[in-house]
Amino acid sequence: MPAVELTNISKAYGATQAVRNVSLTVEPGELFGLIGPDGAGKTTLFRILATLLLADAGTATVAKHDVVREFRAIRNVVGYMPGRFSLYQDLTVQENLEFFAAVFRTTVRENYELVRDIYEQLVPFKDRRAGALSGGMKQKLALCCALIHKPELLLLDEPTTGVDAVSRQEFWHMLSTLKERGITIVVSTPYMDEAALCERVALLQTGQVLRVDTPAALRESYPWPLYAVRAARMHPLLQDLRAYPAAHSCYAFGETAHLSLAQPDAAAEAHLKAYLTAKGHHDVSVAPVPATIEDTFMDLLQTHHSAPVS
Amino acid sequence: MRTVWFLIEKEVRQLRRNRTLLALLLVAPIMQLVLLSFAANYEIKNLNLAVVDQDHSPAARRLLDKFQYTPYFRLVQVRPSSAAADQDLLSGRADLVLVFPPRFERDLVRGGQARVQLLVNALDNVKAGLASSYASSIVQAYQGEVRPATVAAAVGEVRGLEVVPAYWYNPLLNYKTFMVPGILVEIISLIVMMVTTLNIVREKEIGTIEQLNVTPIRKWQFILGKLLPFWVAGLYQFTIGLLLARFLFHVPMVGSVALLYGIMAVFLVVPLGLGLLISSASQTQQQALFVAFFFLIIFILLCGLFTPIEYMPAWARAFDRVNPLVYIIDIARRILLKGSTLRDVLQPVLTLLGMAVLVNALAVWRYRKTSG
Repeated sequence: MPAVELTNISKAYGATQAVRNVSLTVEPGELFGLIGPDGAGKTTLFRILATLLLADAGTATVAKHDVVREFRAIRNVVGYMPGRFSLYQDLTVQENLEFFAAVFRTTVRENYELVRDIYEQLVPFKDRRAGALSGGMKQKLALCCALIHKPELLLLDEPTTGVDAVSRQEFWHMLSTLKERGITIVVSTPYMDEAALCERVALLQTGQVLRVDTPAALRESYPWPLYAVRAARMHPLLQDLRAYPAAHSCYAFGETAHLSLAQPDAAAEAHLKAYLTAKGHHDVSVAPVPATIEDTFMDLLQTHHSAPVS
Repeated sequence: MRTVWFLIEKEVRQLRRNRTLLALLLVAPIMQLVLLSFAANYEIKNLNLAVVDQDHSPAARRLLDKFQYTPYFRLVQVRPSSAAADQDLLSGRADLVLVFPPRFERDLVRGGQARVQLLVNALDNVKAGLASSYASSIVQAYQGEVRPATVAAAVGEVRGLEVVPAYWYNPLLNYKTFMVPGILVEIISLIVMMVTTLNIVREKEIGTIEQLNVTPIRKWQFILGKLLPFWVAGLYQFTIGLLLARFLFHVPMVGSVALLYGIMAVFLVVPLGLGLLISSASQTQQQALFVAFFFLIIFILLCGLFTPIEYMPAWARAFDRVNPLVYIIDIARRILLKGSTLRDVLQPVLTLLGMAVLVNALAVWRYRKTSG
């Protein structure tokens, strides 16, 4: 029995179709990622799973309970961390944690084991008001509050958005520790590097699931020969690469340009260098690279756009 | 109940840290009661009086002296003709003009009809009414002194039959006795309703409701946790208000104060619940505030404190059947001034109880943990 099961879930806000016909399953103990840009429908899915929002169509079960009929049972076994910081800013760190423990009819002491690693970092600030914490600290506190009633399932809506790189890394480390304790985690993120840390991810775009797979499978499924190209000036480089006759697609990827070719070409590197030098580029370097999840995602987006699923 | 207790504890903690709101709850009602009670004065002193004396007789002189001996009138002009005095009224130099016609004394002494004319600026009808009633009582008193049934002033036609009013329950017609209990419950209703109106919707705006809604808190627990802290604050305000009424304004307390307390405890749940209902139905604090204002202004202006309900048109009287302020002001006056018992006020108390239950049931029903 899966920990989370969504069957043909749809939800519209007025004329805007936020989620269309989404079906997903998350296995118990899994660290599952919802990956997609803003507006992909991640938050809507979380709110449906957290029993805060009723879907227009479809069914969903969380920990074997139906989200509509058995919402009360779900509220006892789910820890939800909304994308927006939703703790009481005018209460202290400790007061927030104690309050949320209390309303779940438990105590901080009873489940301290579960939050200890995270909460110990907050102890120096326990008498500080939550509103005065840094972004990273706020996220840790929110995670503690979502965990304090020992949930079977954690729903984390963009927990690392707006958080510095070090805190993000720490946060993901905490998630893997929680996973080891058997807690099922569904987490959303707009960051592709974080997607690689999940066991399985669902790629979402405009309310639809493009693909669900493990990060490794997603990387391997990339169908085109891929090259990382560098040159002195980025912008004209992208333009010239897009005009390259054998190009399938080309986009900026950090400090390099990722170019995929429509056909495998054994001498692609030499051809490209010659092409770019002829176009007047300096310091040109071309190297084949393995595809990342982002490459796969970009490719899926492109095919999705050219052949929209109705 | 334990969950409710934790919700209350949280609410009180937040309140303690919100200095402005705390001051609004604890200090503002006291200041408002004191200021408004002194300001809502139905006694008028130092009305500007102009006199046109066409008689120049000792009798006219003596009546004029009577006017000047009271604190209510201040002689500002003596004019030879009515035309000049009219100008005083027009320019606002005088609030009223007293005209002694020629042969005033002669008519008086001969036992015929002596007349004085009183011209009152009625731009402000409350002031005009008071001025003419003060003036007529002075004239009546003078008439009694001179010779029974001699002077019949145009303003107070008293001949033959004399009406002696006896003001029961408020013998001196002290406006404070009448106003203070009403102002007190008005202020308390206003403040507690505002505070609860802004409360739930504030959690919506800040987003904390999102986290709270995924907890197993039941809807009634949530509403009760929001209601009780401000209910206590309302009773505190009422306590201070009663002390002020007793020792500063000397409002008589004939009936049982304990009974009034008990009824107030029931009444408070009505504005509190109404605030919570508005709050749970609103999306922003601004929306909630305007809806609450809409109700409060109607409740307050139609509650009978400023205009007697009997003077209002039928639709306003009909509306007042659901105006909780009407009931509580009536009950407070009856218990404090008249010494009414629970038996006497049972009907309005039951009405308030019904409203309290209904409004709060609606608030619980309207509060949604899940949106559609």
